[in-house]
Amino acid sequence: MSDPTTPGSIPAAAAVAGDAQGMNVVARTQAQMVRRRFFRHRAAMAGLITLLLIVVLAFSSIGFASVPGWWDKDYFSIATVENRGRPTLSVIPTWLGGDGMHLGEHPFGQDNVGKDYFALTMRGVQQSLTIAFIVGLVGTVIGTMIGATAGYFRGRVEAVLMRFTDVMITIPLLVVAAVLGRRYGSSGIVVLGLVIGLVTWTGLARLVRGEFLSLREKEFVEAARAAGTSARRIIVKHMLPNIVGVIIVAATLAVAAAILLEAALSFLGFGVQDPDTSLGKLISTYQTAFSTRPWLFWFPGVFIIAIALSVNFIGDGLRDAFDPRQNRVRD
Amino acid sequence: MLVFIVRRVIISFFILLAATFVMYLLVANSGNPLQDLQESRAPNREAQIEARIRLLNLDTPAPLRYFIWLRGAAGCLVPFALECDLGQSIQGQDVTALLSVAFSQTLQLVIAATVLAMVLGITVGIVTALRQYSGLDYTVTFSAFLFFSLPIFWVAVLLKEYGAIRFNDWLADPTIPIGVAVVLGTISGLFWMIVIAGDRTRRVTTFAAAFVASAGALWLLSETQWFADPGLGIVVITVTAVGLAFLTTAVVAGFTYRNVLYAALAAAGIGIVCHFALDSVLDDPSGLTIVLLALVTVAVGMGLGYGLGGLQRRQAIQAAVLTGLGTGGLLFVDRLLGAWDSYSDRVGGRVIATIGARTPNFQGTFWEEGLDRATHLLLPTIAIVLISFATYTRYTRSSMLEVLNQDYVRTARSKGLAERGVVVKHAFRNAMIPITTLMAFDFAGVLSGAVITERVFGWTGLGTLFVTSLARVDPNPVMGFFLIAGTAVVVFNMLADIGYAFLDPRIRLS
Amino acid sequence: MTDPSLPVGAPLPDPAAGGVNQPEIIESAAEVHVATKLEETAGPGEKEVLRVEDLTVSFPTDDGLVRAVRGVSYAVHEREVLGIVGESGSGKSVSSMAVMGLLPKSARISGKILYRGDDLLKKSAKQQRALRGKKIAMIFQDPMTALNPVYSIGDQLAEAVLSHEIMPRKKALARAEEMLALVGIPQPKKRLDNYPHEFSGGMRQRAMIAMAVINNPDVIIADEPTTALDVTVQAQILETLVQVKDEVNAAIVLITHDLGVVAGMAHRVLVMYAGKPVEIAETDRIFYHPRMPYTAGLLGSIPSLEGGGGGSRLRPIVGTPPSLINLPQGCPFSPRCPLATDVCHESEPPLAATDELGHVAACHHWDKLADVDDPTVYFRTESEAV
Repeated sequence: MSDPTTPGSIPAAAAVAGDAQGMNVVARTQAQMVRRRFFRHRAAMAGLITLLLIVVLAFSSIGFASVPGWWDKDYFSIATVENRGRPTLSVIPTWLGGDGMHLGEHPFGQDNVGKDYFALTMRGVQQSLTIAFIVGLVGTVIGTMIGATAGYFRGRVEAVLMRFTDVMITIPLLVVAAVLGRRYGSSGIVVLGLVIGLVTWTGLARLVRGEFLSLREKEFVEAARAAGTSARRIIVKHMLPNIVGVIIVAATLAVAAAILLEAALSFLGFGVQDPDTSLGKLISTYQTAFSTRPWLFWFPGVFIIAIALSVNFIGDGLRDAFDPRQNRVRD
Repeated sequence: MLVFIVRRVIISFFILLAATFVMYLLVANSGNPLQDLQESRAPNREAQIEARIRLLNLDTPAPLRYFIWLRGAAGCLVPFALECDLGQSIQGQDVTALLSVAFSQTLQLVIAATVLAMVLGITVGIVTALRQYSGLDYTVTFSAFLFFSLPIFWVAVLLKEYGAIRFNDWLADPTIPIGVAVVLGTISGLFWMIVIAGDRTRRVTTFAAAFVASAGALWLLSETQWFADPGLGIVVITVTAVGLAFLTTAVVAGFTYRNVLYAALAAAGIGIVCHFALDSVLDDPSGLTIVLLALVTVAVGMGLGYGLGGLQRRQAIQAAVLTGLGTGGLLFVDRLLGAWDSYSDRVGGRVIATIGARTPNFQGTFWEEGLDRATHLLLPTIAIVLISFATYTRYTRSSMLEVLNQDYVRTARSKGLAERGVVVKHAFRNAMIPITTLMAFDFAGVLSGAVITERVFGWTGLGTLFVTSLARVDPNPVMGFFLIAGTAVVVFNMLADIGYAFLDPRIRLS
Repeated sequence: MTDPSLPVGAPLPDPAAGGVNQPEIIESAAEVHVATKLEETAGPGEKEVLRVEDLTVSFPTDDGLVRAVRGVSYAVHEREVLGIVGESGSGKSVSSMAVMGLLPKSARISGKILYRGDDLLKKSAKQQRALRGKKIAMIFQDPMTALNPVYSIGDQLAEAVLSHEIMPRKKALARAEEMLALVGIPQPKKRLDNYPHEFSGGMRQRAMIAMAVINNPDVIIADEPTTALDVTVQAQILETLVQVKDEVNAAIVLITHDLGVVAGMAHRVLVMYAGKPVEIAETDRIFYHPRMPYTAGLLGSIPSLEGGGGGSRLRPIVGTPPSLINLPQGCPFSPRCPLATDVCHESEPPLAATDELGHVAACHHWDKLADVDDPTVYFRTESEAV
């Protein structure tokens, strides 16, 4: 988190870190320190690389929208099922007694009607990522706006907004998402992402409000107000930059949660609808096939976990980068 | 304080009221409840549609229909008024009846799991905070991240396959091949090596000891066919009970003043003696007997603590009661396992269940029925614990780290207080304040959180009621479900606020 | 530099204005400061209670080894008040935390810390704990955060007793009440049940003092005990401290960045800079005959009570303290020192005697300070200098 006593438009100058222990640290700007700490966070870097690899793989292999990809099969063509749909992917080299390293015709196998399961899984990754990203974005924007408005203006505005937040928090997320998914699941993933995003902002709104309540008492905000700066400008230029760390971390974790939420909705049948697919839907469809054709279950599952884990690690790295306090503990 | 609570109750009530309105509109908007009839080719289609419109008041616009629903629901608020009317399902069943059945199922499922996740998660969170940056800390941190990146239904499917189907297959001939024992022993050795840490020789000895103990135990269990008829046996119970006495003493008082330890050991001893003394009583007891025994245990523990505690009476009472209850729990588990053989025969060797809350039409002794419930609860409980355990560990760890860094913890050390007191009395007590909120949220959320678990494990609880009704666009059961889930959220949030005030004197007064 | 924005204990006579010939000013200053004059209390005894020998403390960090303390030696006698003065980062707090055994595990400590001849660093954790709070007690800077908010004052005081002796709680609470009365808290019995947030800052610091002396310690380490308090209560707290010290016959190590605080309090003063002692002398000698330019600079930056002339202006020492990771070669103060010559940039001066009165200083040019009436003259800017 940035130093709240410094106006955010000016990068907090020198970090007088740990002066109690007599350390003199070279002055660095806030942004530099955050970047440096983030890039030193090994788990976060591993997460970032994994996520990037998955994104590149999913969008380059089968293409996106009208852009074709390098993989020669698509996720909707029906074909004959070969070798009971077993995956042809092999990663054990021959000198270790394996089949050598090759992709084969259907690296992840085929589903019931012969669709290429690699293409299907990649499509699922695309859809799940898109929904999660939209949900995270919409939820963050709304949560920040509501929280900032309530925290800055206080009074009646705050009362109305926060009571509204209380009402929304009362409805468990999975429940309201399922109800919305029941209605909008068939309208395509963008609409689904938007409506779910409309109900996932409550936690962040409370968080941002809390930060704003303490920020608005700070001298630099008073000074800006005394100078006649407009409320909008104070919020956007002076206050938001000070809690950008909190927001970014919350947004990242919201994306991770949204991945799992989408998977859960699709699993219950209230998410992405036929003919489209998502990772959750794939697992849901093939959970009963686990004993006989486990690959139909493993591949989408591994991708969900890899994505959620990567995003969670990135979020953790960001948190440490913005708020290193936790790491400087006397033990 | 009273004013604070009353105000909180009133606000909560209106919030819940508003939430039901929002929810009602959303549900009404979620789909067309007449769709199945409109697509049907039944000759009396028009009449059926007509009947359903009347049943669900579909001719009234949704916002007004809400007030019809609300009038019925208002009856539920008045105690002992029989007019609790939450409407009817599409099939014409009373929602209140549906709910009461489903509710008890869900409670059985979530209570044990949530409590277990809290205890485990908080304990592990404290330990990792105290040993920040140790091998254990890294392992737990990574596992926690992994666990809350897992879709619960995915875990559940794996659990069903490996925890139930294949495990039951294996139980037909429960031998552990030497190779497997060696591998498991190695894993156990590595685990303890990470937990204990220390210098190289310490690590090597830890590994060797854990390896020999685990692999040896597995080999022994396999040779004696233990899994065919498992049980703890008096030796294991005694050793564990004494260990428990030392552990509780270490946590609540430390060993400088021996009286607390004596009280705890006495509690363990009396428990073991009761194992033999109560043999006939425990053959086929009723649930009431067990509850009474638990109460007697608490009373005896308090008596022991009071009598033997000396200058540390309060701590001695705590230690004795906890040890007594723990020993009682061990005896209970031993008895349950004692029913294993006969139970296994009666369910055809498929001991670990994958579907439902109980074996249909199963009747037996108290212990057999208890085991039946336990084996049905086992897998869904593991699934729920895995996921929420992760949250508790992370939250407790960071809360503890924050508190351990506070000046007052340094003050406590500077007084010469033993590390146990610093951690338990000063750090943990303060770290608990934010954790209370999490616990309240979690308890509130478990009802709806069980939706997926219930679905995978075929429990007919609230979650299943919600999912099937929503799929059918059956508004009244969905609203009934929400009324319970929403009330839980509101009530537990309120409890969190009150608990907060209780734990933090700074809030108490204002 | 002494941060001019920090509250300064009390106005001190400016030696520049008064000069060496007016020692009576310091008397009156001490009266402003502490009503109970140190001279009226029991003087230091012969026996050493605490002796620190060549103590070094360093912390490994991402940026390198931070050498927070680089060889500190001092001794504290029975009933003596030793002032340790230095700016933040000079190692004064770290060295006292080392004495208490409260440094993080990552700290690397060497040297000796002798309590009545026994080396604390060689003792087991358990033995160290038995002395901590019993024989050597500590008072911290910020009473707002040093008390646990969820326990009553009585609980926290009684705990200090019960940590070292098993006794009925009632007895421990009675002792706590006695101590609260001793530190001047009215209605101590009622106050036992109060929580820290119901106390004012000054009251909390009194409670901290009560907690420190409740086991009749031999040494009390007071780490900036008045820094976080209102100027108006600072003097009262110092007064209480001196009073209580007498009551329990303890020695005090008074750590502060504020020369004004030690003026009326300490028998001897140790000045620290960049992890090392740079001057040790009796308090009067430090004030009137500093033999280290850094001390002189500190004296020059104290606001004056007298006013008028060049002395009325605050004269900060220019520059900032050196990095403890990359210490400059030579005397660490040389980059900021007006007297620095080539030799200062090349070799670090050892502590050396400057006269027979036990006055030691670490400066190549201490004699230059002895030559002038007002040593702070070196720190005046040109426009100020007469």
